Amino acid sequence: MSRLWPWLCAASVALSLLMLAALLTLLLTRGLGHFWPATLESVTLDSGEVIAGEAVREIPLPHRDGEERLYFTANRDLDSHRWRWVEINHIDERSTPHALVRLERSPWGDFIGYLTAVESAGSHLEGEAAWQALKTALTRPPPERPNATLILKSAGGETLRQPLNEIHRAYRPNAMAWWEKIRFWSSGVWQFLSEGPRAANTGGGVWPAIFGTVLMVMVMSLIVMPFGVLAAIYLNEIAHQGRLTRLVRIGVRNLAGVPSIVYGVFGLGVFVYGLGSSLDEWFFSDSLPSPTFGTGGLLWASLTLALLTLPVVIVATEEGLARIPDAQREGAVALGATRLEMLTRVVLPMAAPAMLTAVILAIARAAGEVAPLMLVGVAKLAPQMPVDGEFPYLHVERKFMHLGYHLFDTAFHGEDIQAAIPLVYAIALLLVFIVLVLNLTAILLRHHLRHQRGQSC
Amino acid sequence: MTPPSRLHHSTPSGSDPRRQRLDRLATASITVGAFAVLAAILAIGIFLLWESLPLLSMTGTFTLETLSPLAWGTLKAALAAMLLALPVALGAAVYTALYMPPPLRSRIKPVLEMMEAIPGVVVGFIAGLILAPWVERHLASTLVLLVWLPLSTLLAGALWHRARQSLRQYLPFSWAGLWLVPWLVVMTFLALWATPGVEQVLIGGDVRQWLDQQLGLNYATRNAMIVGMAMGFAVIPSIYALAEDALADVPASLLEGAQALGATRWQALWKVALPAAGPGIFSAVMIGAGRAVGETMIVLMASGNTALFSVSPFEGMRSIAAAIAIEMPEAAPGSSTYHVLIFAALVLFLFTFLVNTLAEVVRLRLRIRLSRMGGGG
Repeated sequence: MSRLWPWLCAASVALSLLMLAALLTLLLTRGLGHFWPATLESVTLDSGEVIAGEAVREIPLPHRDGEERLYFTANRDLDSHRWRWVEINHIDERSTPHALVRLERSPWGDFIGYLTAVESAGSHLEGEAAWQALKTALTRPPPERPNATLILKSAGGETLRQPLNEIHRAYRPNAMAWWEKIRFWSSGVWQFLSEGPRAANTGGGVWPAIFGTVLMVMVMSLIVMPFGVLAAIYLNEIAHQGRLTRLVRIGVRNLAGVPSIVYGVFGLGVFVYGLGSSLDEWFFSDSLPSPTFGTGGLLWASLTLALLTLPVVIVATEEGLARIPDAQREGAVALGATRLEMLTRVVLPMAAPAMLTAVILAIARAAGEVAPLMLVGVAKLAPQMPVDGEFPYLHVERKFMHLGYHLFDTAFHGEDIQAAIPLVYAIALLLVFIVLVLNLTAILLRHHLRHQRGQSC
Repeated sequence: MTPPSRLHHSTPSGSDPRRQRLDRLATASITVGAFAVLAAILAIGIFLLWESLPLLSMTGTFTLETLSPLAWGTLKAALAAMLLALPVALGAAVYTALYMPPPLRSRIKPVLEMMEAIPGVVVGFIAGLILAPWVERHLASTLVLLVWLPLSTLLAGALWHRARQSLRQYLPFSWAGLWLVPWLVVMTFLALWATPGVEQVLIGGDVRQWLDQQLGLNYATRNAMIVGMAMGFAVIPSIYALAEDALADVPASLLEGAQALGATRWQALWKVALPAAGPGIFSAVMIGAGRAVGETMIVLMASGNTALFSVSPFEGMRSIAAAIAIEMPEAAPGSSTYHVLIFAALVLFLFTFLVNTLAEVVRLRLRIRLSRMGGGG
């Protein structure tokens, strides 16, 4: 038996690698696949009914032989649901007609069907001309688009009048060549990164969330870096290395293990209800009872996360300081430098990469943290961006959107979660990508640092 | 880690009084800044304690009634996570520290530690919306996989020991962590393919129905098992990293000595390395437990959030952290719910702080002991 135990240990490594690879592959394929124009099918059932949609998945029928297939049929304004389960042996005919159009619209979600005509100011275009007219209209920016109406026909034969200004994108995936699909895919990725959300966060892009995350992380770094570095310098360079300093060091290290939600509670109680309410009473009393600072906002969120990442910064900076050989300090002092001069001219320049590592690690931790933000100022949909042209340009009291919370909200509070899942995959991929890239940078930097130091000693 | 001695400025260096004043000013401001940081850290504990005090004046068992199902949920979630994470993390640590060739080890370790960087909200989404419905549809396969994967590895080991020498050289055991990956993939697909048939023959249909009728177990889509898998995934890297460090710090001379006396590699590990690194492994487990108790988003998204007293692994739970995240934004400041939630946060804070301190102290002790044992090696 003792010959077989090591195999279980080896399998643990294999299993961990497998789980990590599976998770990343899942995110990568689904997240990037979300933007690929899927083939649309027109399906004739044996009852004579015709439906059109995107085939999503198949599962075995419960209690019977055979399988059923799920179609995303869209057109919520026509039949009030967007999904349709079809038993496979009830399908008479499947085809992929080139004329099938998919429209991304604002109030009702997608439309899948046929374009019959485009009507605008007396002109009436039909067939291919209508499609060309629609395509040219959509290439212009929204305010310049003509005031037109589309006449649409669903696969079931119902007719629908659709104003052009509610349409974001139109495409005929079955008629696209592969290079057109690639172009469509990249424009989809670009829109995802650069546009705001629509349809109650179940569609559109995540630009405000990216912006909010980046801004919050930047404000947080501005707060945490000076304090973290000061504390690290004190602990490593100034404090007497006794029992007390050791205790403080252990305490700081352990704060990294305190659950993030506890920091959220602290931020809500002290920053929002304590500081914020007092600020409101002193400076913004004319706008009370509606709170200015007395509610969650960018500043409070940044402060809370600064506290959360403080141990990360202190530990990483101190590690860098401890690696600097004492001979360097002694040399500086022997040449007549004061402590301040020794710190600013010798120690801090040598510790700069460690401080950079510290800030990257702090950012990586903060970018993925969601729980405390739910208490101190993240918003489902922020009406205003925290930065605009109005004085004082940066509005730290405003609520903001955050990528991680956007993911949580889209995945768990939407009205049609099924339809939102592909988008959630894309958000998750973006978040993981950002955090992993930050972490990798920190690891490489640290590696480089150790290597360099190893040679100089 | 820190050099043993620090420089103290007792003698004036340089004669310029302006430089001396500047120096004293800088030292003073660094000290002030550092104490501000310490004060902020202390403030967390003091605030939580202060705001939970009003609970003492409240009569009745309100606090206890609200918190006990939550405490149970927290323990259940953490226990489920540890059940999955402990064997995998410790096994992986033993293998990387003692069997892997160093060049491979220096690549695999950062990759596994990378798992820790994956945000909880992403793991929670995958667990709650993708894994949970899948497991519900393939419950039998999932349960079979939990047993079959370890068994299939043992099978692989047995086959390897019987294989020809040339094959063994081609697939050395020290690289098994990598080449077992495709084996596990194949075995997973085999189990997924074979289970429905076996399920049909043995219990005549659906496991969920069978569980309900024979054992009276309810199956909730989002349950403790799902939370255990997701949070286990999140806890594995922190346990793994610390345990691996502890094992790798065991001086090689100890292991070599044991093997020179005729012990096998596994005996050397079991009788020498594990006792030597025991405290370090203990602290790794403690840190992992602390993380599992405090993790919010994964439990929030994968557990169904029903405050239940149930031991069944197929039912959901609500943890303290998740309850705070859900209820805190709605609780009016000063209300009894607000104070109860702050008290809940205090419990979490104290628990994790104590557990981490214990782990840290044990780890530091161990480090000193091992460096003594290592002597010149």
